[in-house]
Amino acid sequence: MSAAFEAPSQAAPLLRLILRAIGWCGLGLIAVAVALSDFLAHAPAGATGAGPMLDAPSSAHPFGTDLLGRDLLSETLHGLSVTVSHALLGAVIAIVLGGLFGAVAARLSRPLGLTLRAVIGVFAAIPALLLGILLIGLTARFYAPLAAGLAAAPLAFVRAFDRVDTKSTHAEYARATGISATTLLRRDLTYEFRDTLATVAARALAAVTIILSTVSFLGFGATPPARDLGLMIAAAKTSYLHAWWTAAFPAIALLILILCARLAAGLDESERP
Amino acid sequence: MLGLLGAVVVTAVISAIALPYAHGLAAFLTAVGARLLSFARLNFGTSAISGLPAMDELGQRIPATLALVLAGTGVALIVGVPLGLLFGAGPLRRSAAPLMQIVAAAPVFCAGLALAYGAAHLLHWPVSINLPVTNAAPIFASNVRDLQLAALPVLMVGLAGAAAVQLALRRAAADSAHQSYRTGLKRMGLSALEIEWIYAVPQVIAGLLSSAGEIMLALLSATVVAEWVFHRPGAADLFVRAVALEDWNMAALILFIFAALTLVIDFLGRIGAYALANEGTPS
Repeated sequence: MSAAFEAPSQAAPLLRLILRAIGWCGLGLIAVAVALSDFLAHAPAGATGAGPMLDAPSSAHPFGTDLLGRDLLSETLHGLSVTVSHALLGAVIAIVLGGLFGAVAARLSRPLGLTLRAVIGVFAAIPALLLGILLIGLTARFYAPLAAGLAAAPLAFVRAFDRVDTKSTHAEYARATGISATTLLRRDLTYEFRDTLATVAARALAAVTIILSTVSFLGFGATPPARDLGLMIAAAKTSYLHAWWTAAFPAIALLILILCARLAAGLDESERP
Repeated sequence: MLGLLGAVVVTAVISAIALPYAHGLAAFLTAVGARLLSFARLNFGTSAISGLPAMDELGQRIPATLALVLAGTGVALIVGVPLGLLFGAGPLRRSAAPLMQIVAAAPVFCAGLALAYGAAHLLHWPVSINLPVTNAAPIFASNVRDLQLAALPVLMVGLAGAAAVQLALRRAAADSAHQSYRTGLKRMGLSALEIEWIYAVPQVIAGLLSSAGEIMLALLSATVVAEWVFHRPGAADLFVRAVALEDWNMAALILFIFAALTLVIDFLGRIGAYALANEGTPS
């Protein structure tokens, strides 16, 4: 127990750097796989009868086939492509409407900023998954990426708002020397947001991917034939207990995507960028 | 309090969508006002699916959900607190981080399906993922089969909660590690053990309490997925069906209950944290 919570020596920056590099390399490889998915896949998306039904992994079908005889390697590649493209769109929305707007709102006049914080705080108290489902229900499944981004935005807004220290030394100094709030905001966006953008983007990608795939798993996301990984796993629910590969490979692909994004964001979860 | 009022307004807005005359801004605002007046009289409208009052139908479903959340909270604390303390402590903090990233990368539904697969093939337990919803066993069951059926969703919710608990503890431990009071207290002659026990531990527990809202969000999100994966007839499952069938009165009411639960737990947690170590500010 002695000095249990005391700060450890800085022995692991190299490990953190390596893991972060692995995360970015993984995301790069995923981007390549997505870009080449049509070439790498054996069959077009949703092509039934590519092999026998529920065929176990073999040299002909490395990931096996599903209930409709679809080649799961091809389906996983197409599903990964849909998941990544939707998640990227959602992450951009979450960053702009959440992180960026939150940082801007914190530099607005105090009453206005706090009012915005209170209003958006109500939405942050709703689980992002339920908010995403509700937004899709109110619009259409076509807007699932938008809904996932909007669902992740309130929490990102609140965190970004709370992170901006309006009483920081440079803010006090700026006020004392008559520097306007707009200039101070521009300085914050230029330096602080720029420095954390890669971390914020990777973390937003991981969060939105989880929301999107879960929403799809529950039947509110992608629509066939453009199946994403969540929908593929949902479809495998009836068969995976006796044909594990129908759910395992899409789940592993999803896990790798989220893991790479989280590693790229860095290991220090004690900070909330 | 302000948050709860906001949640009521959001509920009224969603519920007003269901009203047939709420087209155009003026009519919609009138409809929102009418819904707020109805809420004041504890009238939450009727379910478009069953035709029953929304409150009555939710009343039949919410006990199962609350039981799942409660049991999941127990598992989350039993698993998450030791993990958080173990991995939040100095020597293990750095080495635990990559492991935690891998664990946290698994979406809840994937973890639930993996649990079900393991239980079916390794333990030969019955699993309810392909059973009809009506056959769901109660959480606090008396016979072994029902207990086995109920254990998986509880574990799934509990593990999702445990991830949030250990993260909150590790975050609080990291905050505590960099506090400037440590140097001062050492100079005053306090031993490392005294500093940890008298100052750091309350601060870490206060950090956990101040994250109560986030932990509740994780538990509720996992409950939605657990009820869907394991075919349990709870409020979260009802929410998914209500949105799919555009039953906005029901969806709005469930959303309000969940938001209110989160806000109240968050508020109580902050009060507790403030009382314990002046951590955070109750609002």
